[in-house]
Amino acid sequence: MSTTEALPQAYGRVIDPYSLGRDRRGDAGGGRIYVTGRGEGGPASRRVIVGFGFWIFLLSDIVMFSVFFAAHAVLQTETAGGPSGRELFNPSHIAIETACLLASSFTCGMAAVAIEARSQAWTQVSLLITGLLGLAFVVLEAGDFATMIREGAGPDRSAFLSSFFAVVGLHGLHVSAGLLWLGTMMAQVFVKGFRPDILHRLLCFNLFWHVLDIIWVALFTLVYLVGALR
Amino acid sequence: MSYDWNVDVAPGFMDATRRSVRQGITSYLIGLALAVALTAASFYVAYTNLVWAPGIPIALAALGIAQIGVHIVFFLHMTTAPDNTNNALALALGVVIVALIMIGSLWIMANLNQRMMPMDQIMQMQR
Amino acid sequence: MLGKLTLQAIPFDHPVPLFAGSFVVLVVLCVVVWIALKGYVPYLWREWITSVDHKRIGVMYVLLACLMMLRGFIDAIMMRSQQTFAFHAAGYLPPEHFDQIFSAHGTIMIFFAAMPFMIGLMNFAVPLQLGVRDVAFPTLNNTSFWLTCVGALLINVSLLVGEFARTGWIPYPPLSELTYSPGVGVDYYLWSLLISGVGTLLTGINFVTTILKIRAPGMSYTRMPMFCWTALASNLLIVAAFPILTATLAMLTLDRYLGFHFFSNEAGGNPMMFVNLIWAWGHPEVYILVLPAFGIFAEVISTFSNRPLFGYRSMVIATMAFVIVTYTVWLHHFFTMGAGADVNGIFGIATTIIGLITGVKVFNWLFTMYGGRIVFASPMLWSIGFLVTFCIGGVTGMLLAVPPADFLVHNSTFLVAHFHNVIIGGVIFAGFAGLTYWFPKAFGFRLDEGWGKTAFWLTLIGFYVVFVPLYITGLQGMPRRMQHYDFALWHPWIVAAAFGIVLLFCAMVCQVIQLRVSIRHRDELRDDTGDPWNGRSLEWATASPAPAFNFAVLPRVHGAEPYWEIKRRAIETQQTAEPQYEPIELSRNSPVGVITAFFAFFVGFAMIWHIWWMAILGVVGAYAAFVWFAWRDVEDYTISAAEVAQLDRARRRVHEEWLTQHARELA
Repeated sequence: MSTTEALPQAYGRVIDPYSLGRDRRGDAGGGRIYVTGRGEGGPASRRVIVGFGFWIFLLSDIVMFSVFFAAHAVLQTETAGGPSGRELFNPSHIAIETACLLASSFTCGMAAVAIEARSQAWTQVSLLITGLLGLAFVVLEAGDFATMIREGAGPDRSAFLSSFFAVVGLHGLHVSAGLLWLGTMMAQVFVKGFRPDILHRLLCFNLFWHVLDIIWVALFTLVYLVGALR
Repeated sequence: MSYDWNVDVAPGFMDATRRSVRQGITSYLIGLALAVALTAASFYVAYTNLVWAPGIPIALAALGIAQIGVHIVFFLHMTTAPDNTNNALALALGVVIVALIMIGSLWIMANLNQRMMPMDQIMQMQR
Repeated sequence: MLGKLTLQAIPFDHPVPLFAGSFVVLVVLCVVVWIALKGYVPYLWREWITSVDHKRIGVMYVLLACLMMLRGFIDAIMMRSQQTFAFHAAGYLPPEHFDQIFSAHGTIMIFFAAMPFMIGLMNFAVPLQLGVRDVAFPTLNNTSFWLTCVGALLINVSLLVGEFARTGWIPYPPLSELTYSPGVGVDYYLWSLLISGVGTLLTGINFVTTILKIRAPGMSYTRMPMFCWTALASNLLIVAAFPILTATLAMLTLDRYLGFHFFSNEAGGNPMMFVNLIWAWGHPEVYILVLPAFGIFAEVISTFSNRPLFGYRSMVIATMAFVIVTYTVWLHHFFTMGAGADVNGIFGIATTIIGLITGVKVFNWLFTMYGGRIVFASPMLWSIGFLVTFCIGGVTGMLLAVPPADFLVHNSTFLVAHFHNVIIGGVIFAGFAGLTYWFPKAFGFRLDEGWGKTAFWLTLIGFYVVFVPLYITGLQGMPRRMQHYDFALWHPWIVAAAFGIVLLFCAMVCQVIQLRVSIRHRDELRDDTGDPWNGRSLEWATASPAPAFNFAVLPRVHGAEPYWEIKRRAIETQQTAEPQYEPIELSRNSPVGVITAFFAFFVGFAMIWHIWWMAILGVVGAYAAFVWFAWRDVEDYTISAAEVAQLDRARRRVHEEWLTQHARELA
């Protein structure tokens, strides 16, 4: 924390014409002026900055997904004589994929608890299980895609299939990138231990993985379950 | 759950799990249990006759929103406490933007699809 | 081996792009060789290319913007001259070139001139105004800059290798689909924007985090300068809108590369969906451009009127209202494309509401000037020019906001004149005002006022001489983007517009001369106090040029207009107590930005020409660079307290001299 200039004696009362119902000194909350991150206490801590910044990135990612969702919503009836959702979607596969991702989200949470307890062994185990469950999800999904393409229901068949492959594929790409990131993080934690910057990155990964599961909830509800009704 | 009025928190586990290991695990377990229940309910609603057919999409949407809420509270540890204001407001802005884009796009495209010929029919007229 | 790339890609049989491209390559080679021979490479690498200092990055952004504006301006000269000659004639540009020129003009001006200009000024000024040392993620900032450069580079490469899109700056399908644009032009557009779009999104995240979480002690939200509020709104819009651009362009890329059917004519695709989605980005984009401009004018007008900004709170509310309302108007870009009267009406009314919010801001600027002691320095001239010009442009926008009226002038030169009116009058004037205003803070000396004022008047008059005739031809029915025309009624106006281009060319020459003269006479123009304009916000509280750490001690903010308070207090008490200096930690420079951008360029180029092995290598290389960077152990470097004290004492000495000099007159 850097000290600041001493207030000259002759300064007198501060009249802040822009204070919104604050006390006379223009400070917030009855004189408690050292609120970091909400502006009046100076810059926030590195952890808050990194976490909030990554949160904003995740919100931008959600906006990008929503565009693909909107495209799918518009194009979901355009099967151009080809197969529709009801014919293509396999409920048991979707259920297994959902279970895998949900379980991996839980184990990611367990990893977070292990990280807070600074336990290297438990962190590595939980992260490994998270990764394996995520990998199972990706492999299953890739298998489904390959089957659909082989049967002539690939993304070039109709607009419905294009938008389906795009939105589900984008999610799968994110999960794959997350797995790559996870592997790198496991290596970094192993080599460098629980250093502050490593902890911040683990926080970001944790947020990322949970948001991916949130997007999957929207995906399987709107794309698969609603799609299977047609 | 206690929070320090003077310090903002980052979203996620690091500031929220200022509790024991047992409390942390419990919160994630509750979240998992709720999420599993809601997922099972979604599948059940979609593939059986429990809900009247035209109402199924809305039921699914409601269950989905509930499950997203479970994720946000139990997995992301987002609260409405004053130290979480920035995070919650950012999420609210994101939700508003997504809603405007989706509702706007769906309304506009439905209007256009209703008023204009489908493209392949227009193309056939060109030949 | 090299995909679709062959020697045929170089336009040996088309003189215009061949000459232009070769000329650019020659100039670039000469500059690079000169830099290498003079031994400047280590300095440039160490101090600028790998710099994570927001001030240096801001300067580089503005430099990129000015260079790209030059290229876009040359495209404009070619378009105006073609239309002047092409009355009952073919002109000198064949249609397939003319199409590429107007597409490149729009793309370059919006993405690589206007955006970097505003982002550069935000980069430079926002951390200084917030009273802090740097942005939230300095290395990410550097990466964003280099990714933007890669986008600009790809478009310029298309001049000599291959071709550019012929679809206009917004590539509507089905024209932009593979069937009707089989060449690489649209691919150049897509990859250039996909790559630079990532850079811009990262900038948005960086600044939202900085403005919300990193401010000087005591600076609550209502004590932030207006420029920081508009920067916040603009960056929130970037975060919310650029994903839409990325997604939509990605869908078009999937259509072209993998045969998807998002926007195709057959198999159920919907071309209008592209139009809908791209304008859902496109409208927030223009507000991303103009909101920082509004902020710059708020700063300049209040400083040069010697009055605090009028109606600060209403300005803040108006600015933040833009963030939401801008997402409710995008259909006005395609009123004529098939929506019903109810949909058109709702979006038309929403567009009118946005005009209302802008009006609030205009009145606040005017009332700031009223009763002030106005100093007519060139930034103030740009601001007054903006107030007149932007209002006219805004009013024509209100005309376009009414769907029945828009049906008559949609896609005519009236529309072209309107958006140039608001973008030039708003963004470009703001860019030059901000450039002149903050130049001393960046480089330690002011720009020459005489040449600056000449450039202003030439730009202002030239602008009207170009675009008022275009308003008239628009009302007379002339569509935009015409390669030739036979209608005699329009011809005199087109010729008049060409004279305006000559004036604008002279203005541009004056700007270049201004820079040269200012550098030559920099000792006379030197700014010693750090506060050449008697400013009101915190960037003027530090030396010119600002040191790497910005402020020796983070300023303590007690009220709005923090620097004004500091100055007043210093004058009243006739003393400035020396603060207690402490060591300062700053983020270390890093080459990861430029290396990632290097690989990104090859990914883009390879994807355009279908050189798959190069694309894969590029992705792997970028990821490897990123992991190597993430593995580093030392992130910061420290400036010792003694060094900080030494640097700061020089500034304090000058300030104390200034104080004793001015104490009598200002007390």
